[in-house]
Amino acid sequence: MAYRYLFEQMVRRELRQKYRGSALGVLWYLINPLVLMGAYYLMFGVIFDQVQEPNYPLFLLVGLVVWVFFNQAVVSAAPSLLDQGALVRKARFPREIIPASVVTVQLVTFLALLALLAPVTIVIRGTFDVALLLLPLVLACLFAFVLGIALAVSILHAYFRDVAPILSAALLPWFFISPIFFRPESITDQAKARFVLEWVNPIAPFIGTIRDVIYGGVVPGGQELAYVVVAGAVALRGGHALFRRLQGELAVVV
Amino acid sequence: MSAFEDSLRPGEIVLENASRAFSVRADRGRTLKEMLIGRKRAGGPPPVEALRDVSLHIEPGETVGMVGRNGAGKSSTLRVLAGIVPLNAGRVGCGGQVVSQLELGAGFGREFSGRENIFLNGALHGLQKEQIESRLDAIIAFSELGDFIDAPVATYSSGMFLRLGFSIAAHLDADVLLIDEVLAVGDEAFQRKCEARIGEQIAAGATLVLVSHDASLIERTCERLVVLDGGRKIFDGPVDEGMPFYHRLMGTANAVPSPQ
Repeated sequence: MAYRYLFEQMVRRELRQKYRGSALGVLWYLINPLVLMGAYYLMFGVIFDQVQEPNYPLFLLVGLVVWVFFNQAVVSAAPSLLDQGALVRKARFPREIIPASVVTVQLVTFLALLALLAPVTIVIRGTFDVALLLLPLVLACLFAFVLGIALAVSILHAYFRDVAPILSAALLPWFFISPIFFRPESITDQAKARFVLEWVNPIAPFIGTIRDVIYGGVVPGGQELAYVVVAGAVALRGGHALFRRLQGELAVVV
Repeated sequence: MSAFEDSLRPGEIVLENASRAFSVRADRGRTLKEMLIGRKRAGGPPPVEALRDVSLHIEPGETVGMVGRNGAGKSSTLRVLAGIVPLNAGRVGCGGQVVSQLELGAGFGREFSGRENIFLNGALHGLQKEQIESRLDAIIAFSELGDFIDAPVATYSSGMFLRLGFSIAAHLDADVLLIDEVLAVGDEAFQRKCEARIGEQIAAGATLVLVSHDASLIERTCERLVVLDGGRKIFDGPVDEGMPFYHRLMGTANAVPSPQ
């Protein structure tokens, strides 16, 4: 991989450029999701406290970090190829590096938040379960899934400038139907509605499995695990294939 | 990198029946609506054919100047050779490490220091950290930037900016050098230094393709001349035969080349 160092450079550039000159610098990468999580916690954990879950704040926060990673990664990946238009028009290098570096920066933030959250959860639950061994696998699948979506979204947005606005509009309702502040089984008895909430929404099984492992301390169901492995592989393969197919004219359209 | 490119020797350039057209609509991106409705907006000027069935075979170590009117297809040819823009028809390949100087300093992060930008630019050409570190001193010395190398590029004058850009590109061990009208860099002393550096790279076996409107620069640097007009190759041969042809084309046959 001749361009390994370029990838490293792009990640560092992405990390440092955005908040350069601001007093808190890269800390903003942590502050933004923390504020967002604080707001949602206030909303659903305190004001509308309807859910019967032990340690509901932790239940909520584990789901939220997953969502925030997914949300931030695709939203910042969408315009990334246009943002780096000067490079795309003038140099020849694997263009996947651009959205991949954006997603990687968000992954670093996500892992940092998880590293803050997971020990607290484990200490409060009081048991250190073998289920945690599944965490690397599930996180790898999540990364593959998000990267695949980010590749697809970034290349599509370079050609069709409506993609990023559509995405921003879709993400808000998508957030509310994702099982972040509720469990599907606790808000509906209808089998059809549950099926949609649990399986049709592709991010739901990721939230479910990661929450099982970190918050519940239990091994996720086999179906859910299989789902995240397949969804990660399919999204990455599909996203990359689409990117490859469309990238030829990039230097002309950005 | 295609299998075709792998079959070429380092420094060899092949362009076969190459054609490329560009849409010239102001808003280049297609909207989703158009895609869903399945039709394109009518009207607007037709696509510009930047390259029409151009074939070119350049051997390793050759020095080729490319001239023509504005819009003749020179820069498009370089962008095609650099692998940045794909062809509509035909095929293209350059063997070995291709270093293109289409726009010096392109992609510089303005908030980053000159030193940091050297690393980024090296990485863009596929170099690893150690490879860039080993050239760092030579690049900085060549650029004559001195202590400014650690200042953000945003504080540079345009001359300093271009000097850094050239210095990086000139130290990348190119097998193929693609240069687009960028030698008007900095002051006269630095221009001479750039020419000398390009001469060294040619002496080391690099292939040069140089686009310029400076006829005397091409006469000094190149042995072969390609004249493009309207996207077609209308002359390809030794530079001493090509220059009179080019001057006749431009209606400047009696013009005196700038003294050097």
